[in-house]
Amino acid sequence: MSEQQRYSYENDCKPDENRNKGSSRWSQCRKRGADGSLRKAEEDPGREQRCSRRPESFTTPESEGPVSRVKSWGDEVEAEEMRSDVRRDMHRYRRRILAVDVPQRDRKISSGSSDSRDSRDSKDSPGKGDIETDETVLVRRQKQINYGKNTLAYDRYIKEVPKPMREQGVHPKTPNKFKKYSRRSWDQQIKLWRVKLHAWDPPAGDLQQIEEIDLGEIMDFELDVECSADPDSQCASANTAALSLTEDSFTGTPKKMMKMEDAEMS
Amino acid sequence: MENLSKEDYKIQSFDLENQKLLKTALKDPGSVDLEKVSSVIVDQSLKDQIFSREAGRICYTIVQAEAKQSNGSVFRRNLLNRLQQEFKAREETRKRSTQEWVCLVSFICNIFDYLKVNNMPMMALVPPVYDCLFRLAQSDALKNEEEVDCLVLQLHRIGDQLEKMNAPLMDELFNLLRDGFLLQEDLSSMGRLLLLEILEFRAGGWTLSDTAQKYYYSEVTD
Repeated sequence: MSEQQRYSYENDCKPDENRNKGSSRWSQCRKRGADGSLRKAEEDPGREQRCSRRPESFTTPESEGPVSRVKSWGDEVEAEEMRSDVRRDMHRYRRRILAVDVPQRDRKISSGSSDSRDSRDSKDSPGKGDIETDETVLVRRQKQINYGKNTLAYDRYIKEVPKPMREQGVHPKTPNKFKKYSRRSWDQQIKLWRVKLHAWDPPAGDLQQIEEIDLGEIMDFELDVECSADPDSQCASANTAALSLTEDSFTGTPKKMMKMEDAEMS
Repeated sequence: MENLSKEDYKIQSFDLENQKLLKTALKDPGSVDLEKVSSVIVDQSLKDQIFSREAGRICYTIVQAEAKQSNGSVFRRNLLNRLQQEFKAREETRKRSTQEWVCLVSFICNIFDYLKVNNMPMMALVPPVYDCLFRLAQSDALKNEEEVDCLVLQLHRIGDQLEKMNAPLMDELFNLLRDGFLLQEDLSSMGRLLLLEILEFRAGGWTLSDTAQKYYYSEVTD
């Protein structure tokens, strides 16, 4: 019968592609693998499967926008959930900005290049036309945010620095996915945000220290990179406030000697 | 021992080891192999008719528990993917065993009923659910009381939700049911009764009028 054929699909259940279990040097700090399961510290992140070369999506008359080819139900529902989460966030955000008619507090912000746009926009509540509403964009941005939040560093950061204590420009701030930004600008903000978060990476011994010193030399002084064991750190200048905060939290050797597993359990 | 969970989730038919596994999954999902849990649940729902109609609740609870505990969705993903495999093999299942087939349909529909995403039904399941119901509305299925019974049960439970998700398909489905009722000669009288009742049920806006309720569900007094 034709009605049945319309939606009797042949579903070859593709196994979940393990693209995100790749061996980036930060993968050991990721809390969760791509399939959602919590990672153990000893997990081997080396597996990667080749992406299919067939077009990932197509549009049919019945679908609202691109439909992914041979998607598993698990994936489809997760995508649905992301879209509806983003929609819900948007409604909340709209209500929040419309409700705030009072002028913003006048705060001087250090204008690092990444924050300049922020400092201008955060002064006025964006009008209705000024927020990002494209669902594809919002979902993409949310995924990028989720990668950053799905890290041990982020967990430690939010435990260590509650929202009221956070200082603009000093502490990493999650980019606002509803503000209008160009793709490049957004991607750059995410990158900088994630680098900032690395200051809260769990200590992992010598390797970590070497990498951090490298970062200290390469990165802008504005970034509060944690220079753990070294009291004569090079990045002391502009961010003494931030540094004293992080230093306070690492008094004594025992914490630095903490193993990865302990860090995960905290 | 908490007997409450046994009664709520109808897991008495599981063997004791699996009952224990399920109870642990409900309380502490992070401590169990959620893929195994989903597998155990799907296997049982294909065998046990009662459980297949109620499994949605325990699945929902485990999904919530996992989300709360670790913000993860491992259980849901495994459950849905396994379900998808079973759905793909439904025609063979139907040939092999009508019982298993109706259990599968009941289970898929129950999952659709219970596992909501931000309080909305899972859109991804709408086509497969309709697919199953359309299959049950074919003439070779309508002549089996077991299949008609399954069909009307699902429509009672989730018909209105399905219609909201896709009204034209529901119209088409009911065209088939009308045709079957009117034209198909090898329907049993119970099959005909079930069809008539569901036709009236939907016509009444997914509810039965008092008189119809009396007609179909009261004891015959005379």
